[in-house]
Amino acid sequence: MDSLIKLWLSTGLANFELGQIVMMLVGWGLLYLAIARNFEPLLLLPMGFGAILTNIPIAGFSEVGGLLHYIYYAGIDTGIFPLIIFMGVGAMTDFGALIANPKTLLLGAAAQFGIFATLFGAIALNYVPGIEFTLKDASAIAIIGGADGPTAIFLASKLAPELLGAIAVAAYSYMALVPIIQPPIMRALTTEEERKIEMKQLRPVTKIEKIIFPLGVLMMTIFFLPSATPLVGMFCLGNLMRESGVVDRLSTTAQNELINITTIFLGLGVGSKLSAEAFLNVETLGILGLGAVAFSIGTASGVLMAKTMNKLSKDPINPLIGAAGVSAVPMAARVANKVGLEANPHNFLLMHAMGPNVAGVLGSAVAAGILLALVGS
Amino acid sequence: MMDNMQQQFIEAGTLMLAGMVFVFAFLGVLIVFINTVLAKLSVKFPDPIVVPHSRPNKKSKSTTNGDISPAVVAAISGAVKRYRSQHGQDK
Repeated sequence: MDSLIKLWLSTGLANFELGQIVMMLVGWGLLYLAIARNFEPLLLLPMGFGAILTNIPIAGFSEVGGLLHYIYYAGIDTGIFPLIIFMGVGAMTDFGALIANPKTLLLGAAAQFGIFATLFGAIALNYVPGIEFTLKDASAIAIIGGADGPTAIFLASKLAPELLGAIAVAAYSYMALVPIIQPPIMRALTTEEERKIEMKQLRPVTKIEKIIFPLGVLMMTIFFLPSATPLVGMFCLGNLMRESGVVDRLSTTAQNELINITTIFLGLGVGSKLSAEAFLNVETLGILGLGAVAFSIGTASGVLMAKTMNKLSKDPINPLIGAAGVSAVPMAARVANKVGLEANPHNFLLMHAMGPNVAGVLGSAVAAGILLALVGS
Repeated sequence: MMDNMQQQFIEAGTLMLAGMVFVFAFLGVLIVFINTVLAKLSVKFPDPIVVPHSRPNKKSKSTTNGDISPAVVAAISGAVKRYRSQHGQDK
């Protein structure tokens, strides 16, 4: 009889706590979004599974000695995984459209207003009972507005590790929702005429420009914002491997095998942070809400900046491409292209929107560096 | 509590201002960098025009038939090219 009781006590059924069950359902929800709705499946699938694993009673996945514990501390606590992913993203990024039309960097800068405005929102939420965000927490939440998964995870792991799970879920969910969140804002802020604007064809960009560009960006970051060099440095390394043309094997590895392997572990590690005590509270709701606000403000400020530039510049600029300044490569650029095509079926904005899109990646890395420098220490 | 909140708001405001100014300044300098350094480089080092490979291959085939090694052909054609360009410049 004793052994029967012992056996019963070692089952999951006897040990489940309510919070664990709820968090497993959240994990199932993420799996559903990934598999059935195709929402950022590369990350949400391992993340959802990690959430299920970490909430298994007795197994102790996230305690010392458990697999997820080590994955988290080896890769995310140290910041290694998001940085490796950023290198892969650099190896996948073509800066051609940006170099051909450098003005679009301003759109990438304007869209970062979403990040800094959300800082206010996060602090204002402290009026809500049950929520207490420090300036560090607020900065980590605000970076969701950068629409850049690895940057958000990197910054959150440095500034507010206890909020990492909720921040990562919010960042990736909203990135998947870009095609739903952005178009209404874009249409509301532009006129039919503006959406029809056709832009001048981009000039061809030479190889030497593409090689020197990442080196120049790196030097500038070294001089002006060393706190952003982990992100920008890895990004530039990946990009240089791509553009130099002499290490195709490394470039291919960085943008395929390496980023894929790292994504599996990153997803699992982030999932391990989805425990009941860390996730089931009012703060998570606040973070999810603020994420949506950050995205919307970023989109709006990008579009408004593009409108202003269109009025001032001699070459026409379609305001829709401003929305791509929030990064979320290449989804945001595709959205700009799609909304543009609705107004003018012969107007292909994709290449033009890639400029602000990759500028947004740089912009959010710079914003992350600023937040690290000013709030981090 | 209220004082603390006010303090935090002021900090957030400063952060916002400093952050946006810095982001714009940084990317603005990058624009200048692209418009000056990169633009000059692209003029100085334009991409080589890709020559279709078929013609030189055919040539080298015919020359190997005539027992002249491709290296010699390359050396001679290089010299001729240089002579022509110098000659052209003198004119």
